[in-house]
Amino acid sequence: MDDYLIGVLSNVGVISFIALSAYLLLLIGEISFGQQAFFAIGAYAAGIATALWGWPLAAGLAWGAAVAGAAAVLVGVPTLRLHGLYFAIATLAFAEMVRLLCELFRYQITIDGEPTGPNGADGFRNIRYIFENDIGPLQFLVLIYALLAAALLGFMLMERSRLGVAFRMIGEDVALAGLQGIAVARFKVLAAGLAGALAGIGGGLYAHLTTYVEPRIFDVMLGVHSLAYGLIGGLGTALGPLLGVLIDIGLLESIRSLAGYRMIIFGGVVAFLLIVRPRGLLDETVVHYVRRTWYQIGRGRGN
Amino acid sequence: MLVVSDLVAAYGKIEALKGVSLRAETGRITCLLGPNGAGKTTLMMSIAGILKPRRGSIRLGDTELTGLSPARIVGQGIALVPENRLVFPQMSVLENLLAGAYQRGDKAEIAADVERMYDRFPRLRERREQLAGTLSGGEQQMLAVARALMSRPRVLLMDEPSLGLAPLVVAEIFRIVSELNRDGTTIFLVEQNAHMALQVAHHFYLMEQGRVTFSGSPGQLAEDEVIQRAYLGARRAGG
Amino acid sequence: MIDFVQNTIDGVMIGASYGLLALGFTLIFGVMRRLNLSYGPSIMIGAYLGTLIYVQFSAGPVAVVVMTVLGAVLAGIYVERLCFAPMAASAGIASMVSSFAIWMQLEQAAILILPRHTYPFPPLATGAPLELGPFLLRIDHLMMLACALLLSAGVQYVIYRSRFGLALRAIIGNPVAAHLVGIDVKTSVMLAFAGASAVGGIAGYLVLAIDQQVTPMFGMWATMKGLIAMMIGGLGSIPGAILGGLVLGVVEAHSLWHFGPQVRDLVAYLLLFACLVLRPSGILGDAPAAETSIGRRSA
Repeated sequence: MDDYLIGVLSNVGVISFIALSAYLLLLIGEISFGQQAFFAIGAYAAGIATALWGWPLAAGLAWGAAVAGAAAVLVGVPTLRLHGLYFAIATLAFAEMVRLLCELFRYQITIDGEPTGPNGADGFRNIRYIFENDIGPLQFLVLIYALLAAALLGFMLMERSRLGVAFRMIGEDVALAGLQGIAVARFKVLAAGLAGALAGIGGGLYAHLTTYVEPRIFDVMLGVHSLAYGLIGGLGTALGPLLGVLIDIGLLESIRSLAGYRMIIFGGVVAFLLIVRPRGLLDETVVHYVRRTWYQIGRGRGN
Repeated sequence: MLVVSDLVAAYGKIEALKGVSLRAETGRITCLLGPNGAGKTTLMMSIAGILKPRRGSIRLGDTELTGLSPARIVGQGIALVPENRLVFPQMSVLENLLAGAYQRGDKAEIAADVERMYDRFPRLRERREQLAGTLSGGEQQMLAVARALMSRPRVLLMDEPSLGLAPLVVAEIFRIVSELNRDGTTIFLVEQNAHMALQVAHHFYLMEQGRVTFSGSPGQLAEDEVIQRAYLGARRAGG
Repeated sequence: MIDFVQNTIDGVMIGASYGLLALGFTLIFGVMRRLNLSYGPSIMIGAYLGTLIYVQFSAGPVAVVVMTVLGAVLAGIYVERLCFAPMAASAGIASMVSSFAIWMQLEQAAILILPRHTYPFPPLATGAPLELGPFLLRIDHLMMLACALLLSAGVQYVIYRSRFGLALRAIIGNPVAAHLVGIDVKTSVMLAFAGASAVGGIAGYLVLAIDQQVTPMFGMWATMKGLIAMMIGGLGSIPGAILGGLVLGVVEAHSLWHFGPQVRDLVAYLLLFACLVLRPSGILGDAPAAETSIGRRSA
């Protein structure tokens, strides 16, 4: 594989985490414009752990996910009482606060005679773990996709479990879910925490992939993109948001001749899809149809 | 005369109207009775242009109404008093009446009509500055009727005007229906309250599961049978 | 003390521009019960077209105003047709995300029109500031404040005293009943959208004429400031929009003076966040309405 392809695929993988994060909240019927906040928190926390504290990568990524998840729970408790639009704007406000705090955040330690660590608006440079430990781009790509596969496996198990059923019920009809004895508030906060941790892992991977983070990349654009990925890819399966990322980053961003028009095309595609397929390409109907066909083929073979 | 011919309307794949034909004669009260889910409200919404029928025609005099926008249909002289009244809750009684006259430009005439409505419905005069959402159910029904009349319709459609109202108020509503008709308004009424409806109607239809199953004058069928069929459907009434 | 008063004065003046932005924003929300994130970028299209004729043909101020407002209205109608008209009222989230998608389109289109980072914008008034004792009042600031008050009064009048306003309030109250009394709902909604975009266009023109420059950040800036002011004042409330703008302006002016621009923005978002958590209906909003949900197969 050439480096360019590896780079694109790595990006697709990393962004998929934040897309999955927004998707998880969509499952419980909540729209978040602010998952980039947890992506940022994960990136900073994981970067600090490996670059400043000398932790191994796995511990750094886990730390990033934990901090992001905890932050999501803390924000989720007051905001998830709000509904629809109000929740969406509250998450947006929170994410912008996090971005601006990153611009003010300074925490530097001198390592090898060089000051290292977050430096306000200049960002956080020299997260050099993968260079120092001779992890090649291909190896890192494998790591990203291994973690992504694990996350998808988690989603598949969840969809079959009582937890998944509870999430989808809350997404369909909050009042009804409550009447069925589901502790709506707790499940919502749990979903928010898991979504925060997912975005946190993505952030940690992102920080180590690019070796530096700048606060301004965690702006509203990133958040709404991640939301749009699920909505265009489809809300019927966790593969939906991945398809969304693939369409945007894999296809549009990679075709350089489109450079000046990418947003015009992507924006048009999203707007059009929302009219003809309001729940995305792989929506519940498609997923149901595919599953049924799959089982029928399986049964045919069994006979 | 309002003439509906072979009307088919559907929600997705489910046909709510399966070829309905009926007519409301000018100057008379025509009544449509039937159980819940028979398609009565679908028919009213189709005539008013809110729902687009699949097939069939709706004519008022020589004018074909299918395909016209709801606003154009009001312009042709049809006004619907919808099920559950649907007054504008955050607007005053007076503003609701003015909204009813939305397509008219004659300010002086509109003001005179508002006075006429107040004369016919004295409660509305008392409450003219009050927000419509704060009125009682009966008052809201009066307001919905008055609002519809403000467009000076040739045909007044009423969808279950007695729904959820106390018996005394229901009697009052039907008294007004007769009165309006005596003053020259053609009325097409959908009801579940067969007893009251048969007292005022000149002609009535029975509708079950999207089809018209009976057409006649109130004397032609025993009230018991009408009530049974209107509430329970024909099969059980027959068996 | 003098600083405090001067900061408050400056805050009120800046706040007037936020209030104007929020006015158009809240108008769209009031009628559609859905959020139009493309509001700022639509204004930006108008501003860029205005700048284009100013830079290319040295157009006069009147032509620039007309072009800015016209551009904002056309872009607004485009957004309405694409993101709002085809979707059911219940599909609030689909409309909101779709309007964001169009935001990206409009922004890139604006950059294609004028690719440099900064362009000059014709000033509104260049006279020396008025002196009121120790305090300074810029003339263009005063003009903006006057415009904010006049326009909000005008919008209030149209909504509560005109036939068109009666139709809009009927649509807000019950869209089906609005059809039944013979209101042309589609056209009225589109006109309301166009009117709100025109208000936004005027707001955009005034802001840019005071800044005397336009950058590609303007679209996002306008959406964000309008959004914060609108939410603080109370979603859907016309006086609330102006009041919310003034509150935001004053709070920003003081935090800028004491802590600098980054903290100013932080405080603005903190204000929004606190307001949503503690009092979602805002200062003057009605009871929390607008239950929105994802557009469940409601194309």
